[in-house]
Amino acid sequence: MNLKRDVSTRTYSGFALSALLVLTILNVLLQNVPEKVERAGEKLLTLNAQEGVANAVTTVVVFFRGFDTLGEIAVLFIAALGIGLMLSSYSIKEHKEESNFILQKASKLLFPIIVLFGVYVMIYGHLSPGGGFQGGVIIASGVLLLLISDQNFEVPHSIISTLETFAGISYVLIGLIGLLVIDNFLGNFLPHDISEMGMLLSGGIIPLVYIVVGIKVGSEMSLIVQHMIKRSDDD
Amino acid sequence: MIETFLTYLNQDSTITAIVNICSMTLFFIGLFGLLTHRHILRIFISISIMEIAIFLFFIGNTFNKAFTAPLLGDGHTEFIAMNDPIPHAMILTAIVIGMAVFALGVSFAIEYYKLTGKTDINDMNEMGEL
Amino acid sequence: MTGLIILATFIAVIVVAFATVIQKKLPDTIILFMGVGLGAVVLFFVFQAPDVALTEAVIGAGISSLIFLIALKQFKEVV
Repeated sequence: MNLKRDVSTRTYSGFALSALLVLTILNVLLQNVPEKVERAGEKLLTLNAQEGVANAVTTVVVFFRGFDTLGEIAVLFIAALGIGLMLSSYSIKEHKEESNFILQKASKLLFPIIVLFGVYVMIYGHLSPGGGFQGGVIIASGVLLLLISDQNFEVPHSIISTLETFAGISYVLIGLIGLLVIDNFLGNFLPHDISEMGMLLSGGIIPLVYIVVGIKVGSEMSLIVQHMIKRSDDD
Repeated sequence: MIETFLTYLNQDSTITAIVNICSMTLFFIGLFGLLTHRHILRIFISISIMEIAIFLFFIGNTFNKAFTAPLLGDGHTEFIAMNDPIPHAMILTAIVIGMAVFALGVSFAIEYYKLTGKTDINDMNEMGEL
Repeated sequence: MTGLIILATFIAVIVVAFATVIQKKLPDTIILFMGVGLGAVVLFFVFQAPDVALTEAVIGAGISSLIFLIALKQFKEVV
């Protein structure tokens, strides 16, 4: 099992007993929760009805806690920056081996369907489960399929990084426009009627922000995947 | 006999106990893998197993059996009797950040292997012998 | 009925996670880790959380495991 040293039975039994102790204490503490606790979720669900969005989790992620999503995008950006710095030396490999015949033909057939599904999940994020993160990662997995089946395919670096930059800038720009118009950073300044709940154009800036997030996440993950595949191994 | 067993399993306190005990067992399996492996990529996988255990613990403890999913679907027109949407949003953020950290760690491991050719954490002693 | 489904899925996830930790070869480890992610997706679905289930399916059992598999090529440890 490639362990560090011979793990004795004393270690195993100590491990099991400490696990049992933690589980017992946790179970006892969590059974004694008082009955009616004032939860913030019920308040947010009633507030959500005024935004005109059918998916409550999308409203919480984009609008009520939109600043956390901005921080999460910053963390993804820093991770992509670090990966791009680390694995940045790749050369054009000569044609070593071709992939399978089925993989070549089927990937060219499947790639548009995967991108279409990713765009659908991204755009309908406020009406059904989904959103920007899920749609962007689906698009990146379609790009991964093309990268492993075709040796000469390269993601066009300048176009994709320009797209990512514009998506990142427009997130902050939408927030600043909200600050200018209605005195709230990332406030909802487009019309959001309750009568349009369930339609595609509803909820103000919420579908717009999620599409911007999806474009940024999709292009970042495509570049990360390309760095990992094309890292040259003549070192 | 089977009816009473199924009814016993459907109570709220039993479901809470099952979720707590099983997710913490998963956490300790991941911790065991973290402490006893030497290859650096296996350590990353064990950390990911621990993260999945925490997500299950979180959402399992805010789960109410009588309520439904927090979105309007077939038949629902009002936002009443729904589960809490705030823990779902927090776990969404946590899953994405966990993936970002995992990818960054794997790229560090690749670059270190290209540079020195070692994957065993007992041999990585460039900063002196511990 | 809900309690029985939760108990059975949790036991399956624990067994697959234990098998992940004691494997000898590296590609087997990541494929069994995808199984843990799949069990977590079923559990999130039973806990009435469809957004979290979709995210875990796409990220946990999708792009994260695939990044690991294509990084194994650099380690010269493919099957």
